[in-house]
Amino acid sequence: MDAGSVISILITSLMAMVPIVLTSVGAAWSERAGVVSIGYEGVLLMSAFFGAIFAELAGSAVVGLLGGMLVGILLGMLHGALTVYLKGDHVIPGIGINLLAMGVVPFGILAYWGTAGQHQLPQDAQMWHLQTAYGDLSPMVFVTMAIALVTWWVLFKTPLGLRVRSVGENPEAADALGINVEKYRFWSAVYGHALAGLGGAFMSVDWLGLVHKTMSGGRGFIALANMVFSGWNPLVSLIGGWLFGFFDALAAWLAPKHIIPGQFILMLPYIMTLVIVAGIIGKARPPKADGKPYKRE
Amino acid sequence: MERTPIIEMKGIVKVYPDGTKALKGVDLTVYEGEILGLLGENGAGKTTLMKTLFGMLHPTSGKILIRGKEVQFKSPSDAIAQGIGMVHQHFTLVEVFDALHNIILGMEGHGLFSKIDVDKAKERLQKLMDDLNFKVPLETPVEDLPVGVQQRIEILKMLYRDVDVLILDEPTAVLTPVEVEELFRVLRQLKEEGKTIIFISHKLNEVMDLTDRVTVIRKGEVVGTVNTSEATPQLLARMMVGRDVVLRIEKPPKEPGEPILRVENLKVRGDRGEVAVNGLSFDVRAGEIFGIAGVEGNGQTELIEAISGLRKVEEGKIYLQGKDITGKGPRELYDLGMAHVPEDRTHMGLILDMTVTENSLLGLHWRPDFQYVKGVINWNKAREHARSLIEQFDISAPGTEAPVKALSGGNQQKLIVAREVSKEPVFIIAAQPTRGVDVASTEYIRNYLVKLRNEGKAVLLVSADLDEVIQLSDRMGIIYEGEFMGVVKPEEVSTEEIGMMMGGIRYEEIRK
Repeated sequence: MDAGSVISILITSLMAMVPIVLTSVGAAWSERAGVVSIGYEGVLLMSAFFGAIFAELAGSAVVGLLGGMLVGILLGMLHGALTVYLKGDHVIPGIGINLLAMGVVPFGILAYWGTAGQHQLPQDAQMWHLQTAYGDLSPMVFVTMAIALVTWWVLFKTPLGLRVRSVGENPEAADALGINVEKYRFWSAVYGHALAGLGGAFMSVDWLGLVHKTMSGGRGFIALANMVFSGWNPLVSLIGGWLFGFFDALAAWLAPKHIIPGQFILMLPYIMTLVIVAGIIGKARPPKADGKPYKRE
Repeated sequence: MERTPIIEMKGIVKVYPDGTKALKGVDLTVYEGEILGLLGENGAGKTTLMKTLFGMLHPTSGKILIRGKEVQFKSPSDAIAQGIGMVHQHFTLVEVFDALHNIILGMEGHGLFSKIDVDKAKERLQKLMDDLNFKVPLETPVEDLPVGVQQRIEILKMLYRDVDVLILDEPTAVLTPVEVEELFRVLRQLKEEGKTIIFISHKLNEVMDLTDRVTVIRKGEVVGTVNTSEATPQLLARMMVGRDVVLRIEKPPKEPGEPILRVENLKVRGDRGEVAVNGLSFDVRAGEIFGIAGVEGNGQTELIEAISGLRKVEEGKIYLQGKDITGKGPRELYDLGMAHVPEDRTHMGLILDMTVTENSLLGLHWRPDFQYVKGVINWNKAREHARSLIEQFDISAPGTEAPVKALSGGNQQKLIVAREVSKEPVFIIAAQPTRGVDVASTEYIRNYLVKLRNEGKAVLLVSADLDEVIQLSDRMGIIYEGEFMGVVKPEEVSTEEIGMMMGGIRYEEIRK
C-alpha cells in the first residue's frame, strides 16, 4: 500500500464518518436526556430520500440537507410524543420507523423517479466538494466536527446541558427542582433525530450523490454502538465514528482487489462493530433513567 | 418567643385513588423560628402530610396558608419558591453529578446556553458551608459519598435556595450517632438564624432532645400537640401507639416445645451496605408465635430475607431443627420445611398476571405429585390443588383460571397463606400478613396463624401493626436499628413501654 492510498483511505474515512458521528452525537444527547431510540436507521434512510427530493426541487444541496433535517425533526417529534408525553415504550416506535423507511424509500424511488432501487442525483443537487489529489472532501466534515464539539460543550458546560443530563439520570430530582422533565426530554429527542436527519441527507446529496434503497446500510445501528462505545460523550464519538468510518473506507478500498471475496471484506465495519460492542458490553454505563418513561406520583 | 404562624394547614384530607384515606382532616400550625417535631408510627400520615405541604401531593380538601396567605402548590418548585424546602427519606440526587452540580441544578444563573460560572457558585456554597460549619466535598460524584454526606448535600441544596422552612423526613434513620449529633447542632444553629424546622420522626429521644413542640399523628389524625418541655417519653409513646384494640383473637395457653428456628448472633447488611441486623439472637419454638415489632426500616426486612435465604448473612448462624441453614437458598429451605409469606405480596408473593392455578403451584411445581414425568407439569393435578386451596381457605375467586390480579387484596393474601401452608412446613415466616387486607380476611389469617401454632408449628410473625403482634405473639422482640430493645411476653408489658422500646429505649432502662 503506497502513501497515496493511505491518504485516500483517510479522506474517504472522513466522509464515511459524517453520518455515523452526526447520528451518534444526536443519539448521545437524546439518551443523556433519557430518550432511547433505535429508529435512527430509518431516519437516515428516509432523510436521504426526502433530502434528495428537496435538493432536486430547489437545485441546492444545502436545501437538501435542511430538508433531511426537517424529516429528522418530524420523526423526532413523533418519537418524542409517543415516548415522553404518552409514556410509551422507547423501542417499539423505532422499529416502526425502521420498517416504515424500508417500505417508503424503495417505493418512493420508483414512484418519484421511475427507477427501481436507485437514483443518481443531478449535478446541481449535489454538494460542492473540496477537490484534492486523493479524493473529494465535503465541508460537511468540518460542520460535523463543529457540531460534535459544540454539542459536547453545551452538554457539559452549560445550564442547558446540566438539566438535560439531570432528566436522564434522575427525573424525580430534576422535577423537584422545577425542571420541566417532559419539555427537556421531548426537545432532546427532536435534536437527536434532527442530527440523524442531517446525516441521512448528507449521504445522498453530498457524499454519494445518489439515492439507493438500502443506502443507510446499518449505519443507524452502528451509530448507536458508537454512542455506547463513546460513553455517551459527543466528543469521544467523533473519534469512534471516525474509526468506524475508517473500516468502512478500508473495506471499500480492499473489496475490489479480490484478495478474498469482496463480500467478506465489506463485512469489516459490521464485524468491528460486533467486536467493539462485545468488548465493552457490561462495562458501559448508560444514564440511569435512560429509556424509562417518567410519570409523576 | 415570637408566635407568628408561618404555616397553617387546615382540615387537610388526602384520599388516594385506591380509596385509602391517608389524612382525615389534619390541622397543623407551625410557628416561625421553631423546631416542630412530627411524631407518629409508620403509615400514620406524617410523610403524606408533609408531601402535601411541599407540593408533591395535592390534598383532596383543606387549605394551606403560608404567612397567612392561602397557597396552592402545583409542584415542589412552587413550594421552594415560597421558601419551603424538604429533605426526603429517599434522596433525590443525581448520583453521577458532584455535590456542586446537584446543588445548583435548576438555578445555575445566566442563560441556558452560557457557561456555568462554577467558581461563583462554589464561592457562594463555600460561604454557606463555612457559616454553618457543615462541610461536604463539592467535586466528588455523589454516589461515591456516604449517605450521611448525601443528606448534607440535600440540606445544602435547600439552603442554597434560601428556604425559610426546612422539612426533614426521618433524617436520622440513615445516620450514625455522631452524624446525628452534628445534624442536630446544625439544625439548632439554623433555628438561631431564624429558620423554621419540621422534624419528622418516630424516635422519642430525638424528638425530646431537639424539638420545641411536638405534634403527634396517628392514623391520619392529629392526636395532640404538646410543648416538648412539658412532655415525657411516656406521654409521647402513649399518644403515638395507645389505641383501641379492634379484633379479638382466641388464643388458648400452650406450652411451647423444642426450638425449631435458632438465630445466633446474626449480622446482615442492607442494600446500602449499612449494618441492618446487628447481632440478633433468638429462637422460635414449636407451638409458638414469635413476633417482631418495631417501626419499619429497623432491620425487619433484612432479617426475614436472611432467614429465608434471599440475602447474604454477614456473620452469625441460622439453624432449622438443629441443622445449619446459613447461606442456603430458598429451594433448599422449602425442602427442609420452611415456608414464607413475604411482606410484599404483589412483588414477592404472587405473579399478578398469572392464574390462580399457576400461582398456587409456585414453589410446589417441582414436586413429583404435580408432574407427569420430570419437567412436564400435570395441570389437572395443579387445578385440583388450586381448587382445594380455594375451598379450604374460602378464597373468593372467579375461578382457578382467573388471573390473580382479579382477586381482592385480602383474597390474594389468603391464597399466599394457603399455598405456603400447603407445603406442610414446620416453620413459617409471616411478614406483614394482613397489610392492606380487609377486616374479614385479616381475622381469618390471624386465626389461622394461631391454628398453626396450636398444631405445633413454629411461626415467626413480623408486622408493623403493633396490635397484631401484641395479640398473636407468645413472645415478642422489639427491634430498633437491628437490635432487640427487649424480648418480652406481650401480657407483661404495657403498650406505652412497647412504644418506648420502638423508639429506641432498652427494656432494662425502662424497668430500672
